[in-house]
Amino acid sequence: MANVLWLQGGACSGNTMSFLNAEEPTVVDLVTDFGVNILWHPSIGLEIGHQVTELLDDIIKGKVQCDILVYEGSIIKGPKNTGTMNYFCDRPMKDWVRELSEVAGFVVAIGDCATWGGIPAVEPNPSESTGVQFLRKEKGGFLGANYKSKGGLPVINIPGCPAHPDWITQILVAIATGRIGDVLLDDYHRPKTFFTDFVQTGCTNVVNFANKVDGGFGKRGNGCLFYEVGCRGPMTRASCNKILWNRQSSKTRANHPCLGCTEPGFPHHDLAKGSVFKTLKYLGFLPQDVPAGNSKLGYYMRAGFEKTMHAVEVGLGIEKAHSQGSK
Amino acid sequence: MAITKELNISPVGRVEGDLDVKVYMEDGVVTRAHTQAAMFRGFEQIMAGKDPQSGLIVTPRICGICGGSHLYCASSALDTAWGTTLPPNALLLRALGQATETIQSIPRWFYAIFATDLANKKFANKPLYAEVVKRWAAYVGTSFQKGVTTSALPVQVYALFGGQWPHSSYMVPGGVMSAPTLKDITRAHAIMNQFRKDWLESIFLGCSIERYMQIKTWDDLMEWVEENESQRNSDLGLYIRAGIEFGLHKFGQGVGKFVAFGTYIHKDLWNQPKIETRNNAVISPGGFWDGKKYYELDHLQVQEHVKHAWYADVPAAHPWDEPLPTPLPSQNLAETNFNDKYSWSKAPRYMNFAAEAGPLSRVIMNANPANKAHQFQDPLFMDIMEKMGPSVFTRTLARLHEAPRLYLMIDEWLRQVDLNGDFYIKPTERDGKGWGATEAARGALAHWIEIENGVIKNYQVMAPTTWNVGPNDETGNPGPIEAALEGTEIEDPHDPVEVGLVARSFDSCLVCTVHAHDGKSGQELAKFKL
Repeated sequence: MANVLWLQGGACSGNTMSFLNAEEPTVVDLVTDFGVNILWHPSIGLEIGHQVTELLDDIIKGKVQCDILVYEGSIIKGPKNTGTMNYFCDRPMKDWVRELSEVAGFVVAIGDCATWGGIPAVEPNPSESTGVQFLRKEKGGFLGANYKSKGGLPVINIPGCPAHPDWITQILVAIATGRIGDVLLDDYHRPKTFFTDFVQTGCTNVVNFANKVDGGFGKRGNGCLFYEVGCRGPMTRASCNKILWNRQSSKTRANHPCLGCTEPGFPHHDLAKGSVFKTLKYLGFLPQDVPAGNSKLGYYMRAGFEKTMHAVEVGLGIEKAHSQGSK
Repeated sequence: MAITKELNISPVGRVEGDLDVKVYMEDGVVTRAHTQAAMFRGFEQIMAGKDPQSGLIVTPRICGICGGSHLYCASSALDTAWGTTLPPNALLLRALGQATETIQSIPRWFYAIFATDLANKKFANKPLYAEVVKRWAAYVGTSFQKGVTTSALPVQVYALFGGQWPHSSYMVPGGVMSAPTLKDITRAHAIMNQFRKDWLESIFLGCSIERYMQIKTWDDLMEWVEENESQRNSDLGLYIRAGIEFGLHKFGQGVGKFVAFGTYIHKDLWNQPKIETRNNAVISPGGFWDGKKYYELDHLQVQEHVKHAWYADVPAAHPWDEPLPTPLPSQNLAETNFNDKYSWSKAPRYMNFAAEAGPLSRVIMNANPANKAHQFQDPLFMDIMEKMGPSVFTRTLARLHEAPRLYLMIDEWLRQVDLNGDFYIKPTERDGKGWGATEAARGALAHWIEIENGVIKNYQVMAPTTWNVGPNDETGNPGPIEAALEGTEIEDPHDPVEVGLVARSFDSCLVCTVHAHDGKSGQELAKFKL
């Protein structure tokens, strides 16, 4: 049994929508079979009005136990650190979060806005948004670098824009079934069980990546999206190609470049001119971002060799097989 | 002596950000209402000066429920600004994304957000209450479980083409990123078929889609309900019977004017995307209906007012002519002066009128006798508007009514995808102005863009919620939800479920808070525990 309170700040509700897509367990299973008791949720909570304000007050006073505080959306501090750009139950949301975080068993930040600040925190950050314990790559965020919840952990970050439903439900089940001790966090407070491998692990285009065959939009699995349209699969830690989305696919499987949304810093390069769905390059041909774990020079030499040889082979009519997608 | 009441419900429901509603009541009737959107993120400011394609990534994140709809607008806005060429397959895959998102939203919205209110004890004395609770009570209701879980199926189809739902960016100027294979199309058919068997025909309609599609008038619909036990006891049959028994047709009328931008662009009618040719190209038509007459949609008739919004004052203007908003200090509800600025939402107006956006607007446009052969032609809701008028009941019925037809359209569009055809034609980037629009599940959505020197100069987003929850305009005319609340009878001021039902019938994107006040003095009289 675990009491869950779910709040939304500078949010789009995308993580809630993702959560509602969950299977094994579904949201209903979580409630009826796994003892997850949803104290309140903005879309699927039953209480309205003063019941909610009272509930929040009771939690803060210790009358109601909140085992897990799930927070979706950025913490809005604007303007000028007042938080009045985001009122909730007549107070700035950030003030509720500050007080609730002191009594909650665990705090789980869901989605990029809650983890790193997300899109609202992109320059000029009009709402002065931050993540709960990080602002982009920097530790601290709203609650400060040293914050730990009553359960002894810092904010558990489940990033993604949105987070995959399984990443959310499995962590809730882990806490509800007493397995929190097995939830290991990385440097960005992400559960390692989901955020150790790269998006490229399991990508159906990995052969084209190895062979340095370029892809692009409107094509069928016959080229890697890393070289031209800005795919970040090789440097983004997430299990998108191991636990598929909506049980069917993933961005890269649908020929959609990975946006790197589980890494702090998304949207990368701050949406600067020429950075959206284009690989940023030095000298017009060397990718600025190289696959994680590679030295840039080493990568350029290996990739350059492969690409040159591939071009030669195609020119001679030897090579074709890898670049043909099936219909 | 008149009994005056003030209600504070905080919050009512339900999506991104908070919506506070302040209601003044006299003798149990709402005499005045103000809506206050209580959250600001500044997406339009974030996009200024950025890559022209930023909207493809940023705008779906405005709303996780309508992300595919934002993407539909963002890509179309760039198509019109850049003068792209769109292959038929691209238009089909975009329409499929929009349609699967919308059909998903019908059960998810109805069960998770709307129908749980009908299980409120306020209705406990009604004969159908026990059945409503059995089916629609949150989490434990028999249809709640099935409806919420099967709502995940249509967006599996979205994921086949877009990689994931929510928050894909697969629609790009010039087409779509993906190029599905045979197995993606067959899989999509199979998933939709499962949706039909698990919910649409079995639980929701109690009959075949084809039988339901024969309904053309209110009398036909009543006949359909009573035709047999299966239809009578379907969730739609129960909604119609319980909705009338619970009196949902008696309140929440609104402004009586409706706007729709239309959507589902025909695969062969917008291959050279231009704003001027869009009206003819949409399969679900747009337009404006003022209660008597249809007007052809003209986006230049749209203006936004900020007199009562927390932005620096500028004259009402068309979005292309609006400056990026400059936020001003806001107040919480208790300290708000409603004669001044009181919401983060602007107030959009069409031909200077407040207009309701949403499924009811769409089905009214579907009944326009001027619709072309390739457009929806469905007279049902003009008949319902004449016989019943707008209300919480009618608005919700409109949302539900779209499910069977959308199923048929999805099936047809899947069949039309040409696996030998193009899905993307690389466009040339250039400066200019663009407009993209669609119908999100909850109503008219549009993006206006201006690109200068290769970056975004101005980006304006107008969401259906902006239309519906917007505050008073420059001349003091209320927005649609404000107007819909006026005149609502509150049976029990300690549990003003009517107010929640009105707000939720518009499906605003915001978590809704209702505060009710003394109609005469405007003072907050007491805090009710609800």
